[in-house]
Amino acid sequence: MTIRKVLIANRGEIAVRIIRAAHDLGIETVLVASEADVDSGATRMADKVVVLGPAPSKASYLVPELIVHAALSTSCDAVHPGYGFLSERAILPELCDKHGLRFIGPKATTIQSLGNKVAARKIAKASAVPLVKGTSNITDKETAKREAETIGYPVLMKAASGGGGRGMFVASDDKDIDTQFESASKEAEEAFGDGNLYLEQYIENARHVEVQIAGDGKGRAVHFGDRDCSVQRRYQKMIEEGPCSIMSDTSRESMRSAAVKLMADLNYSNLGTVEFVYDPKRDEFFFIEVNTRIQVEHPVSEQVSSVDLIKLQFALAEGNLNVLPTQNQIVIKGHAIECRINAEDPENNFFPSPGRIANWSPPQGSGIRVDSHCFSGYQVPPFYDSMIGKLIITAPDRNAAIARAIAALENFSIEGIKTNLNLLLNVLRDQCFRENRFSTKWLENDFLNPHVRD
Amino acid sequence: MDKPSQQDIESLVKLFGESDWKEMHIKTDTLEFFISENPGSGLQNRSVQANVVKSQTEEIKPSPVLAEKPEEKSGVEYEVPKGMLAVRAPNLGTFYRRPKPDSDPYVEVGDAVTESTEVCLIEVMKLFTPVKAESSGEIIEILVSDGEMVEFNQPLVLIKPS
Repeated sequence: MTIRKVLIANRGEIAVRIIRAAHDLGIETVLVASEADVDSGATRMADKVVVLGPAPSKASYLVPELIVHAALSTSCDAVHPGYGFLSERAILPELCDKHGLRFIGPKATTIQSLGNKVAARKIAKASAVPLVKGTSNITDKETAKREAETIGYPVLMKAASGGGGRGMFVASDDKDIDTQFESASKEAEEAFGDGNLYLEQYIENARHVEVQIAGDGKGRAVHFGDRDCSVQRRYQKMIEEGPCSIMSDTSRESMRSAAVKLMADLNYSNLGTVEFVYDPKRDEFFFIEVNTRIQVEHPVSEQVSSVDLIKLQFALAEGNLNVLPTQNQIVIKGHAIECRINAEDPENNFFPSPGRIANWSPPQGSGIRVDSHCFSGYQVPPFYDSMIGKLIITAPDRNAAIARAIAALENFSIEGIKTNLNLLLNVLRDQCFRENRFSTKWLENDFLNPHVRD
Repeated sequence: MDKPSQQDIESLVKLFGESDWKEMHIKTDTLEFFISENPGSGLQNRSVQANVVKSQTEEIKPSPVLAEKPEEKSGVEYEVPKGMLAVRAPNLGTFYRRPKPDSDPYVEVGDAVTESTEVCLIEVMKLFTPVKAESSGEIIEILVSDGEMVEFNQPLVLIKPS
């Protein structure tokens, strides 16, 4: 069935992105907003804005009943969750199904089964996707130490229901498990309502590489290339690029095929990302998890595949199976780099820097794309994620993309609040980054560490 | 054929919704009915039919909000007159003046209320929350009609404090 009117259950740049795609398709938009978000680039674009509740997201964006009530009261026929907030909670698609609303994303049962990381490992194993050595749920530290001995240190302790680094730590020996197991379990319990942890073999100097997938829900899936998201700080991605140019063509092809097979086996519907850890030394990749939503870094894949992934989400949600291109129709060309622009102060331990943006003037030009909800005079609220926009650069190859990104960042002016623009520039100019010699720990342990830099 | 009832139209819409048809066009003495999956196709050059469909489907839409225009001023922006207090919506939901459909309204204009007097009900997906006056005084105006969607912080009832 055709979608006529969509409710966007999100805020910020992704709300703007979804509204744009919807309007291109002739779909009306209703945007929900907390009291703190009534004036943003997104609310100015939406056909209608509905104020859900007060600023804290647990009283507004995180209440599925409010979202569905708003959708029904404004005669929407679909709900787009964006990323974060309720995007990976099965309750939202369940409520949507119950009330005849189309949820723009995978089925509730898929979200549920992939949401538990231990269960997801089993699913991946069944599809013959390579896994790092790992365990089932562990509830006490004595078991953790015994299992760690078997796997061999260092090990990575992770939250069974987690993500984003919470409840996660690296243990080099059994002392680390003794000192950190309980606090990590408590952190996981608070963040995800599940204090269970599990162990994985820790791969040193690893890269984070992921494959963008779309599936038709009937067993057919295709990929839109891969992304390297190894420039991270505290498990938060800062720069993403695609394709991952240090990978051998053989490994890249087999990683993409493994991801496609996994999602096809799951009868996955709509968009998702299969995340891998890549060991450059041994040229091997291992499954981490599946993200059952559109991701922040989706523009990287859009730029190299020339496919509008949000429009594809709408088309797939309408149930028309023919909209999913064949793999041969998807041609990956060129190189794209995305820089996340955050309202934070890198000079002051990345302290958040909300406030009024006195001047917002993004760069323009060929190969330059800026996704953002900001404008001159926009007030960055202190309640949410610090990301205020994304700069996405496209060029024929990686070196050309880096050069273009540096020029674009030099022409990006944001006044009134502190941002990480300068830090991004310094990373792009760094020799390690340019020579593609870095791991997921590089930014934190080497680049940002003054003792190592001197 | 008799004049089509609302049920008749509803059944046709349902039939179409459950089918994989692209278009449906029915013409009798008393009814011309055209429905299409593609809002662009056929409607411009069949404006007569399109109008018929429009007037028929409007009848069966459950929510009055459909007719709302985006440029309409939002209820949240209502300016409370000087010397008055407003009872505001604790969250988005549907506004009800009665605890149950067959009960009397919580309050009427002119009633005296205290802080703890319940003045209305806000419903979110079958969860009903009574809203209290939070100040004592006289009810001056009920600002929202029964069954209307209200947004967070929207003024609902105007009170002249005593």
